[in-house]
Amino acid sequence: MELNYEFMADTFFKLFHALPVTLSITFVALLAATPIAFLLALARIKKIKYLQLPIKLYISLVRGVPMIVQILVIYSLLPSLLNYLFKELNISYNIFDLNTIWYAYIIFTLSTCAMLTEVFRSALQSIDRGQLEAGYSVGMSTWRIYLRIIIPQALVVALPSLCNITVSIIKNTSLVFMMAVKDITAVGKIAASYGYNYIEAYIDVFVVYIIICSVVQILFNVLEKSFGRFRQRVLSN
Amino acid sequence: MLKVTNIKKAFKDNKVLKGVDIEVNKGDVVVILGVSGSGKTTLLRCINFLEKADSGQLDFDEQHIDYAKVTDKEINAIRKKTAFVFQNYNLFNNKTALENVTEGLIYGRNVPQSEAVSLAKKALDKVGLSERYDYYPSQLSGGQQQRVGIARAIAIEPEVILFDEPTSALDPELIGEVLGVIKKLAEEGKTMVIVTHEMQFAKEVATHAIFMDDGVIVEQGKPEKIFTNPEEERTRKFLRRILPESEYII
Amino acid sequence: MRPFEPHLIPDFMLDILPYLSVTLGVTLATVIFGCVLGGIIAYLKLYGNKLQRLLANAYTYSMRCTPSIILLFIVFYGLPKFLIEMFDYDINDFNRAFFVIITFTLLFAANISEIMRAAYIAVDRGQYEAAVSVGMSSWQAHYRIVFPQAAVIALPNFGNSLLNLLKEGSLAYTVGLVDLLGAGELIVARAYGASALEVYIAVGLIYYGIAVALEKICLHLEERFSPQKIVKV
Repeated sequence: MELNYEFMADTFFKLFHALPVTLSITFVALLAATPIAFLLALARIKKIKYLQLPIKLYISLVRGVPMIVQILVIYSLLPSLLNYLFKELNISYNIFDLNTIWYAYIIFTLSTCAMLTEVFRSALQSIDRGQLEAGYSVGMSTWRIYLRIIIPQALVVALPSLCNITVSIIKNTSLVFMMAVKDITAVGKIAASYGYNYIEAYIDVFVVYIIICSVVQILFNVLEKSFGRFRQRVLSN
Repeated sequence: MLKVTNIKKAFKDNKVLKGVDIEVNKGDVVVILGVSGSGKTTLLRCINFLEKADSGQLDFDEQHIDYAKVTDKEINAIRKKTAFVFQNYNLFNNKTALENVTEGLIYGRNVPQSEAVSLAKKALDKVGLSERYDYYPSQLSGGQQQRVGIARAIAIEPEVILFDEPTSALDPELIGEVLGVIKKLAEEGKTMVIVTHEMQFAKEVATHAIFMDDGVIVEQGKPEKIFTNPEEERTRKFLRRILPESEYII
Repeated sequence: MRPFEPHLIPDFMLDILPYLSVTLGVTLATVIFGCVLGGIIAYLKLYGNKLQRLLANAYTYSMRCTPSIILLFIVFYGLPKFLIEMFDYDINDFNRAFFVIITFTLLFAANISEIMRAAYIAVDRGQYEAAVSVGMSSWQAHYRIVFPQAAVIALPNFGNSLLNLLKEGSLAYTVGLVDLLGAGELIVARAYGASALEVYIAVGLIYYGIAVALEKICLHLEERFSPQKIVKV
């Protein structure tokens, strides 16, 4: 099969210009979702009464509804809702001028938050209660024990899942072209339809995603090695 | 120094402590004996508020505490005067042996970093772990881990150390090294309350022995009396069952 | 703002629901083909020679890193061109479902091969040895003793993968398959974008219903087949 290699090489580098978009959505989602997810996880663990059901429902909705449908629902809801609110509140900002990447940030933060809540919950619960008790027994305060003992250990437990979540966010960002956000896939799509070089363009995109995900996985491996030092058994001499 | 009066504790319908009194004076080594489920571990945990007793009183030096309405501040005050050695060590898994000891000094007792390190080294030296400062718990044997646990407890210089079955999670060949360390502390006159199943050891270190069964104290007194000439039938039955097994060498 | 009209949602759901058969049909075909291909890949990972193992692992890895939609586009646009140029065989007017099933078979097989491999390894080697020691053939030992135990171990992960497949399958509408979401898009298009929100919510609710049902079924199966239960009976 004849492929247009010149086009492929050209497009390949063009795609990297869109890398910041893909990565920024991933980072914003992870950073914004982490603190909220941590609090929600604590609420689940402490079994805070009126929060249990809403959190469970939220998580199962995010788990059960396809990402593309989540995007379509929120993207058809948010702009007009915000527009309406701004008018009511006499804010003169025209919401339709807003860069649509903001909707991507919101949607991905919402879905990431649900995934992280479950990961944090199970990671925190995997830490033996004895660690907390030992902290108490030497007079440490609860939040100090969490900060210095429990969270560092839970983080190491959570790292493999965090890696999976990060990879799946990156993969899911390929859907933001639906909202006219120009991520890697969107750029590839535009290049593809320009001159009908579909296969070449999408193979490029395919390779770029493999590269990004590989880098992410390598980074997480490094993190796991350095944070997880305490778990490595070295023969004592 | 430490006096617990009429302490009661139930887990749901299961009454684990049905009104227990104990008194510990400075320099005492109190040994608590009894079968599993007799309430001895719960009693120890209630003294350090790892378990919250339902009712009863605790007097520690000048401080008087009612278990039913204890505040966080009071709990903290007691924990600052006590230390706890756990059955399964409960070392901080993400900290080295040295950090395990300094952690409580720095963040529980507000000792400055450099001083904490030198105190911690002294404590680890005392339990024979001068070579293991920078080892993580996962790199230590059970006996070594428990000795770090003891170092962590003595480093904060508590008025009383509470031992909850310190050797019951250990392989038989590692029990001796841990009991040896505790014995040394007893000889130095440290005040300790020890829950244990090691009868021979208990006989050797105790200044006072308590036998518990079914949530109450059945009998207590001088160890030589409790071990050799108990008054209560329940105590006798317990000793008959357990003594032949406890032939070990420290 | 156009008023939100939630009372339309049930009607839309009823309009869309008939297309559940398309979604489920595509999913079922994918699961069947995916399990066959996944089984082969798992076998290569476990017993293949060095090159086969490398290829099998590389395949799984690259599928894990690929967004479904990209693979779908590659298959949808690339496969017809490839077949025409190489074999002069035209599949351009094949049903869209054909491309969707191929795409998700490729993805699902990678996933399932990893699950199969892990579950197979998790069954204690002694089980096989015991079976052979009482005179079973190697095939019998696998078929009667090892595979049933591996299946129970694989069940939770299999359920997860199946749910993912169902959800990712909704991307099929981007190549023009009229499944649940495709039917929804048609309604939206026909009304020139009006009621889009209500339609998408209707689609979301149907998917949510399937997901909840799937989860219940998986939990039930897990309980039914967990070893502890078997001991008790």
